[in-house]
Amino acid sequence: MPTTVWLWALPPVAVLALVFLYPLALVVQESLAPGAYAEVFASASFREALVTTVWLAVAATVGCLVLGFVLALVIAFVPFPGGKAVSKFIDVFLSFPSFLITLALLFLYGTVGMANGIWTDVTGDPAGPFRFLTTPWGVLLAEITYFTPFVMRPLLAAFSQMETAQLEVASSLGARPLRIVRQVILPEALPALAAGGSLVLVMCLNEFGIVLFTGAKGVTTLPMLVYSKAILESDYASACVVAIVNVALSVGLYVLYRGVSRRAGA
Amino acid sequence: MLVHSRTGKWTAWVLFTVLFVPLFALPLLVILAASFSTHWSGAFPSGPTTAHYAAAVRGESLQALTTSLVTAVTASVVALTVGTWAALAAAALGKKGKRVLDALFMLPVAVPSVVVGLAVLVAFSQPPMLLNGTRWIVILAHTVLVTAFAHQSVSAALRRLDPMYEQAAASLGARPSYVLLRVKLPLLLPSLTAAAGLCFALSMGELSATMMLYPPDWMPLPVLIFTATDRGSLFTGSALAVVLMAATLLALLAVSRIRTRASYR
Amino acid sequence: MTSGIRFDGVTVTYGSNTVLDHLDLTVEPGEVMALLGPSGSGKTTALRAVAGFVRPASGRVLIGDRDVTALPPYKRGIGMVVQQYALFPHLKVEANVAFGLKAQKVPKGEIPGRVAEALEMTGMAAYAQRYPRELSGGQQQRVAIARALAIRPNVLLLDEPLSALDAQLRSGMLAELARLHRELPDVSILYVTHDQVEALTLADRIAVMDKARLQDCGTPQDLYRRPRTEFTASFVGNANLLPVTVGEKGATFEGVTLDVPIAEAASGTTATLCVRPHLVGLGPGPNALSGRITEVQWRGSTHRLYVEVGGHRVKADVRELRETPPLGGEVTLHFAREDAVLLAAGVTDG
Repeated sequence: MPTTVWLWALPPVAVLALVFLYPLALVVQESLAPGAYAEVFASASFREALVTTVWLAVAATVGCLVLGFVLALVIAFVPFPGGKAVSKFIDVFLSFPSFLITLALLFLYGTVGMANGIWTDVTGDPAGPFRFLTTPWGVLLAEITYFTPFVMRPLLAAFSQMETAQLEVASSLGARPLRIVRQVILPEALPALAAGGSLVLVMCLNEFGIVLFTGAKGVTTLPMLVYSKAILESDYASACVVAIVNVALSVGLYVLYRGVSRRAGA
Repeated sequence: MLVHSRTGKWTAWVLFTVLFVPLFALPLLVILAASFSTHWSGAFPSGPTTAHYAAAVRGESLQALTTSLVTAVTASVVALTVGTWAALAAAALGKKGKRVLDALFMLPVAVPSVVVGLAVLVAFSQPPMLLNGTRWIVILAHTVLVTAFAHQSVSAALRRLDPMYEQAAASLGARPSYVLLRVKLPLLLPSLTAAAGLCFALSMGELSATMMLYPPDWMPLPVLIFTATDRGSLFTGSALAVVLMAATLLALLAVSRIRTRASYR
Repeated sequence: MTSGIRFDGVTVTYGSNTVLDHLDLTVEPGEVMALLGPSGSGKTTALRAVAGFVRPASGRVLIGDRDVTALPPYKRGIGMVVQQYALFPHLKVEANVAFGLKAQKVPKGEIPGRVAEALEMTGMAAYAQRYPRELSGGQQQRVAIARALAIRPNVLLLDEPLSALDAQLRSGMLAELARLHRELPDVSILYVTHDQVEALTLADRIAVMDKARLQDCGTPQDLYRRPRTEFTASFVGNANLLPVTVGEKGATFEGVTLDVPIAEAASGTTATLCVRPHLVGLGPGPNALSGRITEVQWRGSTHRLYVEVGGHRVKADVRELRETPPLGGEVTLHFAREDAVLLAAGVTDG
């Protein structure tokens, strides 16, 4: 009996091994080319990309958590007509690719975009003050915008399971809203926040489309470096080394995320 | 519930609107507005036109759309099959075996898509499996990327499936294969279609791995949007982006219709 | 083919936890056997061992003459109905009932007739085209029973089939099950329940389970009138359990010698005396006990008195009294010799 059960598991595992595990193993093998690691680690561009990737991911995660918590709080606990539609909108938002946000930001804050246009209309100054799009701040804004819904969804799910009686009792005991948020809602939301936050952190570390569309030479992240090494420079050994570092970072965090979300029951 | 005073409520709602509209609603609206314009050098776009759409359903653009659709449908179907199979097989295994299998199939979620693209490129650029330069390498990479999500949603649904249905069927004399076909899969149908929608949407918007792999004759829509905006044709890019969003939405809508018809409880 | 069920030293363990300890029990062909016990007593495990969903660590399960211990559930030919009905939500009532027939490859031409027959038997013929979600709890339970009967099993397993229903529906379904059994006299039924009323009403024999073990087994009357253990006495019906010392001619309780049947109990040993509350009378009589009233509950047609007799609480259910006796008042209770059962110590539970 157990042998047949294992036999059934074999075909999908074989497929996965062929199209994913084996290629990944080849990347590891390629990265072990003599001197590849030393060369990459010694290069300034790699260290810069590593630092940029990590701080962008951390900052974006913090931003998403704060923003997502506030927005989810209003949707769940200060209900308004159209709240359901907003939740639906968030679901839809999640199914769009990330680079659309960067594209939109070009129209909003680009050199000839909406914000600078309004500035020109108001002050007469032909050049507006908004020039952050091609800097890391532009990437940060896009990442916060795109990934906040990934925090909101688990939060809204957690909030919908919270007993409103708890809130009513708390407020009947004279607790003010901020106190209720801090002492009743936040503790309940922590598992969902932790799960959503670590997921967003992993996705930010791996984000490519937003950075590519920004088109900024000044912003290089690890995925971007993998792309440019492999496709633009055809330096596969270096690309594989960077890829391994990127994988180690995000898989490590993902394992953490799985642990957290399993504990949170998400 | 939380805020009882009128002013408190209004403060919360204003705060929500101030944050939500510019961050989430405006970007999509801006793309939509730009797709119908020829200029944007002030506060608002100007020069209304539908020319970008006329171009978007012709030649290169139309080909990119069909490329994306074919890729997404193929990848979703294969991913759903492999993912469901793996989830069912994992559920039949013991606790340890299930953990190993689940972890293996989750892995592509954590690995950056760019790296998946690189790995596929490295592995399939040499004989005996020379796929580089063909459409199959793109479809293969998409399949790898979405299989993890298919597996994840199906195994979550399997966990929620009450074993009593299976047992009731077995007590009525149904062999395991009959139980699978007549009880388990029909009960999983809503989750399967949801997973299909998710896979389709992800594949439609996939850019990272595709950028590493696409051959000249198999250029999916996101790549075309990138090349358009990269050479400065922002308005054409917007129109293509709207087409991409519309196609994704339509597919999701179709899937959710099947879902409502298929959910029994 | 005979249709009884036999447990032959069946032991089931989960890890180091024994959930069913060496069960020996035979359900005769055509008999209704109730497995009665509190939750965790092992009764559901015993049923699932017959169905094939748990595998015994040792012992054998036989259906008829066939050893089914190693058979998968789908080869056992049993009908099963569970508490949550487990109707297939994606199939109409008709298809639910036909499920087992199709799965067992019954010839296509026969199926509609047998589905109709099963639905007719449970009074659900009018609902054939409905989905389970469109039915009430009681109706769903009838469909579940029809589905189990359609495959014409020799053995029917019922696992708490009525506990999801409200009290009124429950008594109706109970009568219904009794009727079904009269119509299907050859089917052996194993009926798992924690409700003594269901067991007493429906069963030919009751097996009382506690702590993974069979405690007692007998006809309902037998168990009610002549319980062999304290556990049976208190679980099947209400009981006053009084500690007594066995003497030459009776038993002594709190210094009062009572005239009760002592059977083989050796003189000088301690034992427990069981008297049902409704067999305890108010006022002087044989085996009189005096005490102080500590509580009175009015229960419509009866009054329940709690009387403290020498540190022990004695319950008496008497016909409704015109005047409620005052708390703290002295009263005398009595009971007849033949209404008392002596339970030898050491046969108590565990």
